[in-house]
Amino acid sequence: MSRDGYTGFSRGEARTRTATSLSFETMGPLRKLAKLPWGFILLIVAMALTGAAMLYSSAHTNPGESDLWFLQLSRFGLTFVMMLVMALFPLSLWRTLALPAYAFTVLLLVLVEVVGVTGGGAQRWLQVGPVAVQPSEFAKLAVTLALAWYYDRVITPRSGRFVIHLGALVIILIPAVLIFKQPDFGTTLALIASGGVVIFLAGMSMRVILGGVVAGIAAIPAIYFSLAAYQRERVDTFLSQLSGDATNALGESYQIEQAKIAIGSGGWNGKGYLAGIQSQQDYVPEQHTDFILTVIAEEFGFLGTTALLLGFAVILGWAFYSASQSRSWFGRLAGAGATATVAFYIVFNVGMVIGLLPVVGMPLPLISYGGTALLTTMACFGLILSAHMHRDDKLSSTGLI
Amino acid sequence: MTQDRSIEDDFTRRMLIAAGAGGVVWAGLVARLFQLQVVEREKYEAAAEDNHIKLALAPPQRGSILDRFGKPLASHRRAGRVSIIPEQTRDAADTLARIAALIDVPDERLARLTREISTSRRRNAAFVPIIVAHELTYEDFARMNVHAAEIPGVQVEMASTRSYPRGRDFAHVLGYVARASQDDLHRLSNGMPADEAKRLENLFRHPDMRTGRQGMERFAEEWLRGKPGFRKLVTNAAGRVIEEIPDDKFAPVPGKDVYVTIDSELQRAAIERFGDESGAAVVLDVETGDVLAMVSTPAFDPNDFVNGISGADYALLRDNPRSPLYPRAHGGVYPPGSTFKMVVATAALESGAVKPTDRVHCNGYYRFGNRTWHCWKKGGHGSVDMHNGIKGSCDVYFYETARRTGVEAIAATARKFGFGEAWTLGMTGARGGLVPDSAWKQRVMGEQWYEGETLNFGIGQGQLGVTPLQLALMTARIASEGHSYKPRLVGLGPKSDEDGVLDAPLDAEIMKRMKAGMYGVTSEAGGTAYRSGDLGLGGPRLAGKTGTAQVRRITMAERDKGVRKGLNIERELRDHALFVAYAPSDDPKYAIAVVVEHGEGGSSTAAPLARDILHFALKNDSRRKPAYSQTASVAPATAGEPT
Repeated sequence: MSRDGYTGFSRGEARTRTATSLSFETMGPLRKLAKLPWGFILLIVAMALTGAAMLYSSAHTNPGESDLWFLQLSRFGLTFVMMLVMALFPLSLWRTLALPAYAFTVLLLVLVEVVGVTGGGAQRWLQVGPVAVQPSEFAKLAVTLALAWYYDRVITPRSGRFVIHLGALVIILIPAVLIFKQPDFGTTLALIASGGVVIFLAGMSMRVILGGVVAGIAAIPAIYFSLAAYQRERVDTFLSQLSGDATNALGESYQIEQAKIAIGSGGWNGKGYLAGIQSQQDYVPEQHTDFILTVIAEEFGFLGTTALLLGFAVILGWAFYSASQSRSWFGRLAGAGATATVAFYIVFNVGMVIGLLPVVGMPLPLISYGGTALLTTMACFGLILSAHMHRDDKLSSTGLI
Repeated sequence: MTQDRSIEDDFTRRMLIAAGAGGVVWAGLVARLFQLQVVEREKYEAAAEDNHIKLALAPPQRGSILDRFGKPLASHRRAGRVSIIPEQTRDAADTLARIAALIDVPDERLARLTREISTSRRRNAAFVPIIVAHELTYEDFARMNVHAAEIPGVQVEMASTRSYPRGRDFAHVLGYVARASQDDLHRLSNGMPADEAKRLENLFRHPDMRTGRQGMERFAEEWLRGKPGFRKLVTNAAGRVIEEIPDDKFAPVPGKDVYVTIDSELQRAAIERFGDESGAAVVLDVETGDVLAMVSTPAFDPNDFVNGISGADYALLRDNPRSPLYPRAHGGVYPPGSTFKMVVATAALESGAVKPTDRVHCNGYYRFGNRTWHCWKKGGHGSVDMHNGIKGSCDVYFYETARRTGVEAIAATARKFGFGEAWTLGMTGARGGLVPDSAWKQRVMGEQWYEGETLNFGIGQGQLGVTPLQLALMTARIASEGHSYKPRLVGLGPKSDEDGVLDAPLDAEIMKRMKAGMYGVTSEAGGTAYRSGDLGLGGPRLAGKTGTAQVRRITMAERDKGVRKGLNIERELRDHALFVAYAPSDDPKYAIAVVVEHGEGGSSTAAPLARDILHFALKNDSRRKPAYSQTASVAPATAGEPT
């Protein structure tokens, strides 16, 4: 065992705990719960509470929307329990579920294509009884699990070879193409991006990755023209506001313009809770869902947005670090992939709201109103926690060692 | 193990790279936020301000119209009103039903409101309030206020409304205001540059704006209107008003007040004295020409028009046989009857055709050509000179005098007195009446003037038509012994059109004779209104002249049967009773003309009425110094002349 002495992530701590981990499987669930990283979990709860408070601020004056904060908090409560249960799953269970979950998700995506419900210009939802399900959200987790499962099987000492990554690309591209056709450009990008991170971490040749990036950039015109009209409009708007062209105050650019006004007028420390004029008076469309950052920015200023991003950075940083501590490739890649999934939510959302990215329709994890994204986010955290709890599991059936 | 090690090594390196890339992206986000929130903060703060502060047009407060002593005749009052904001209601029909359960809203109005609400929803204007009821009573307002909170989308507020505290008293003088129609806008913006016209149109679209539709409200529109300002309103993205920021810089400039020369107490007393009779009375200040009362009764209540009168209510006014919409005092044209005899006598003396001492024998009728003209007094007056002709109102004397004087001279003198002129005085609906002459007859009827018509002219009948205002002016000019002023209604306000029109001097000596005749009418034996001379104030008496305006000719057959007075015929066919007078007779201050429609006799109905009005004017000192004048009441022009 020559793992010591590696740079960066010290594994000494993990190794000293090996003895306790060995008896981990035999622990009762309550004792296991007590072992959870409660600092991390409390930070998640704090973020969710912040989100509820901001939801209240953004919607309390709107008739019929004044209770959204409570609804969202209730959803958080449910998914929180789900996360804790997931955290107790042994990694072998996750791995066993990976392929069926992936297959099921692909099946749902195909179903959406055939019998899905159209909404907002895209066919994204499946009506299951009273619930509208958005399978593209599940795809994020399913792809992460499937990739971890795949690499867990194929990574060998010779795995530097390019061919083994082709399977991973297929795993990503099947759902990506289906989601792109819905069309849901934002989710497609997020899926490819977080999948790409996993492939990168699994050791794909840097040269190939570089080549892929160059090819991707070269394909931008082709992608642009294959977009739906409303998506192309968003990109156009984005480009025109980036280049500083005067934007009209209507449609997409109105939303971005109003978002920027709300954010910019927040200044250093904001106008105070419930005192944001832009937010309280509904200037920014979708301000309780995708554009909720504008409320935080207007009411708590630069200090508020920085604190929020810092909070996310701590959550993601710890999660990423925790993934690196995993002994199994499954644990590492699943944890890192889940972290990347949440990270891209944040980057896409914040980037879009502050005018650095086109409007892609991505919620801010733990803060925005919405059930499906919360479910995905909390499942990701469940997976991250599970990987953390079972970081010393060796997962015998793999061919790693 | 080396392979393994290199893979592990590589993984760790890649984790670091990924974490580092994440850190860079995070730093980028924070940098961008720094740029927006710190560097460019001012720009976005200004944009936020532009966003939510809207300048809403604030209508100016319309100027008041006040009487001679500053009592309000047209002002404004805060009145409760209920409106619905459609976007805040869940079920408009239910909301309306709940309002109707609290206050009385007619069914037809409810039906119209339901349509209006659905229209506003279709036009995406559902945040604009729709008015359900104006002018709530105090009880209704209180009740609505208590329950408004329970009915979403209902707004109860106080709004400024034009108000006419004197109601019907000044209907025909003031006219009324109404929401500006397309026609009004067209008229008001006539000759304006396009952008100014557009601004005016926007102003009048405001629910609180009204424009003068008739009377002084219309005449003094621009004087009264004022200048609009702006209200700084905080709105949300939907345009809904959240709050108002007070800012005097943008306050509207209220319209200017108008003072009229009328004494509203005298006006009230005169209207009360008319009771159920229809008619008109005009009181003038003999020394200045100020209109002190201008009565036309029955009248309408201008308050009914402010928020729009219903078609049914308007039809009631329009079709009322007593014509409450008809402005009798300055727009009612009547034959003056015997009140015109002073004009004929003046014309006779001015032309030299008749001397005051010339006598005419009256035995009750006058033959001219192959026709017979009758005197009102069966059996005749005997031998009469000019004084007795006026005092006894002898028709035969004036047939002869008119024939000698001729139509042209009489018409010219009548015009010098102000007849034939439409005295608008800042009102609407004024008419000039008609002073006929041969040229007029040739032009209009294509016939020559017959001398027989001159005889009718001589007793104030025939084609001749005058208004009560013109009769009052005639009387005032006689009483002032020929002073050439114009009647005046606007004490302080926009100049009236006829400033400078009447500048015809009348001979003082002749006027003294007329005064003597009029004194005889009320104060000497044989006068036609002998009993009306005493004003009941101890000393002062009035001097006057009766008149009867024929509504139809009395036929020979009726005359033979003794039907002369029409008490036994239908009201609509009875003659109008007229009386003109001034008082006090020895030092004239007030001149009056009274017309009582179908009142039958000048001496029996009109004269007592005139006497009571003059009595009130003298007792109340209606012509005392007006509130709008800085100096004492205008000095009489005759003051410096030797007596």
